[in-house]
Amino acid sequence: MVGVGDEELLVSKRQRRLEKCGECPKFASDLKQLHAEDNPLAPLLSELLSENHRQKTQIQSLVSFLDNKTLEMRFLHELGSVLQSSVDLEEVLSVALTAITAGKGFGMNRAFLLLCDREAGILKGYLGIGPSSLNEASQVWDEIVQNDMDLQTLSQNFRVNKLSSERAKFHDVLEQLTIPLANKDHIVIKALDGRHPIMVQGAFQHPDVPPELARLLGVDTFLLMPLISRNRRIGMIIADNCITNRVITEEDMHSLETFGFPVAFAIERASLYDKLQVELSRVTEAGKKLKEQQELIVRMENMALVGRITSSIAHSVRNPLMIIGGFARSMLKNSPASDPKRTFIESIVAETHQLEGVLDEILNYSDSLYPTRDFWDVNQLVEATLRDTADILTSLGYATNYSSGHDLPPVYIDFKQLSYCLRTLLQNDLNGIGTDLSISISSQTGEDCVIIRIEDRSRHISQSELDHLLVPFSETHDLGTGLGLALCKTMLEKQGIPFVAQADEQNGIRYTISLPTSKEEQP
Amino acid sequence: MSRLLVVDDEANIRLLYAEELKDEGYDVVTAGSSAEAAEKLQGSTFDLAVLDIKLKNESGIDLLQKLVKERHEMPVILCSAFSCYKDDFSAWLADGYVVKSGDLTELKQEIARVLAKKAQKVKSA
Repeated sequence: MVGVGDEELLVSKRQRRLEKCGECPKFASDLKQLHAEDNPLAPLLSELLSENHRQKTQIQSLVSFLDNKTLEMRFLHELGSVLQSSVDLEEVLSVALTAITAGKGFGMNRAFLLLCDREAGILKGYLGIGPSSLNEASQVWDEIVQNDMDLQTLSQNFRVNKLSSERAKFHDVLEQLTIPLANKDHIVIKALDGRHPIMVQGAFQHPDVPPELARLLGVDTFLLMPLISRNRRIGMIIADNCITNRVITEEDMHSLETFGFPVAFAIERASLYDKLQVELSRVTEAGKKLKEQQELIVRMENMALVGRITSSIAHSVRNPLMIIGGFARSMLKNSPASDPKRTFIESIVAETHQLEGVLDEILNYSDSLYPTRDFWDVNQLVEATLRDTADILTSLGYATNYSSGHDLPPVYIDFKQLSYCLRTLLQNDLNGIGTDLSISISSQTGEDCVIIRIEDRSRHISQSELDHLLVPFSETHDLGTGLGLALCKTMLEKQGIPFVAQADEQNGIRYTISLPTSKEEQP
Repeated sequence: MSRLLVVDDEANIRLLYAEELKDEGYDVVTAGSSAEAAEKLQGSTFDLAVLDIKLKNESGIDLLQKLVKERHEMPVILCSAFSCYKDDFSAWLADGYVVKSGDLTELKQEIARVLAKKAQKVKSA
């Protein structure tokens, strides 16, 4: 009788005889008859029949073995392809642990991955996967069987839907799975250093297994599989069958060992890729900063050039201006009051005076391009400025007072520029002079700064007018009078010093300058 | 009458200083370079020198150092178009510092102050 799958026997009589005749009841009956008749062929036929049966069984066993190996090879090939195509550490780990626990893979119930942290000198629990109860296991395995997913889909599914919940589920276990690499007596470190898997049986009584590890895993039998890449210790996989209690065979161990190499390599590659990404990001950032610095240098060189040109022009102009103004004054001094040309000479004196003021400000502006900062005493700064301006302010009828804060820390400033700024704020010739000719200066410690306040109650202008004066060269006819304030603002901004100017048409102007007390505050 | 030496590379500035300072009652001698100043100083005494910091290709600061070394009794006032030299350590050797201006009032005041100080020093010595 020919069954399903035996169709090829129909075309080969010899094959049909070999495969089927030995099992045929008629043949058995005939053989029995021959034995009864003491036919000499009967024992020979019985032996041939028995040998044929033994060989058939052996062949079936070998075919089954080969089928399993083929499946395993296909799985490893699939695994290799997935691992090789990824440089994402999370993805690699998801694939690895899914492969160990998926039914179509190595079919272990549960697996933990520990990674080596060489800097900290520890082997640290990183990820766990597996059901925590038989119910959960049945649900997961049914789902896998029903969906019949390949490894890549399974691992993607795990990564997207379950990675975070698995992390949370095994958080406490993973926290406790931290073993110092120096603890050479620990069985996990022994497996890692020995670079070979260890099947642990009788864990609760095992002399090399710390009782806390056996209690933590809660199983008597588990497998330790070191992950080694290029002779470097990458980590460890601890796998067990905590749900089914299926025996872990030597065959399982060898299969997992074969699987360990590409996993270790993929993990190392993904880790290196991560590090490379970090380094790349650093290099990119450094490149960006370098470019900014180069642009800054170019800008500073341009500014320095502008400064040098400005300074050179100003110097070249000052001497002729001085000669014109000087001789005009000399002529004015010697001309009688009735001289009709006196008005012209007075104009020359006034205009040269104005131009000299502009020159001073241009030179100060070019100086402002190069602040030279150091730590200075605030009281020294304010008192020196008050001394410098005392004559002119007194001659104009101004009264000044300075109230110094206690224990003021030194401030990090360009002393010369700050002196200029304070001098300008004290004696700027804004319009709108009122009757109260008093200027109060105070200093106090602020947060990482010393705050200087100048309250000038003599000058009554609006906030918009004051804001306008803080814009450099906003009106050319103000050169020599209004540029001073704008220059102060520019100088302070260049040093990263906060400067606030508030105008009140009734109460005057209040300037607030916050001088930094540390270098870090500087731009 | 105090005798002043004015050193400046600009002829018109020398002329202006000479006219204005003579009007103030000083005896003024001018020089356009370090070499000419050295020549004028040779065998003569001056109560004060007014130096420009920039003397064409020379430095007034170098001349100042030379004068301080060789004529330490003669005070020196530096004049410059640049206010920044006021903060230059080497300029601190001078007894006075004035930024150039068509208004010579500051220079005149500085000369008077330095001469008065010198007179005071001589008197107390």
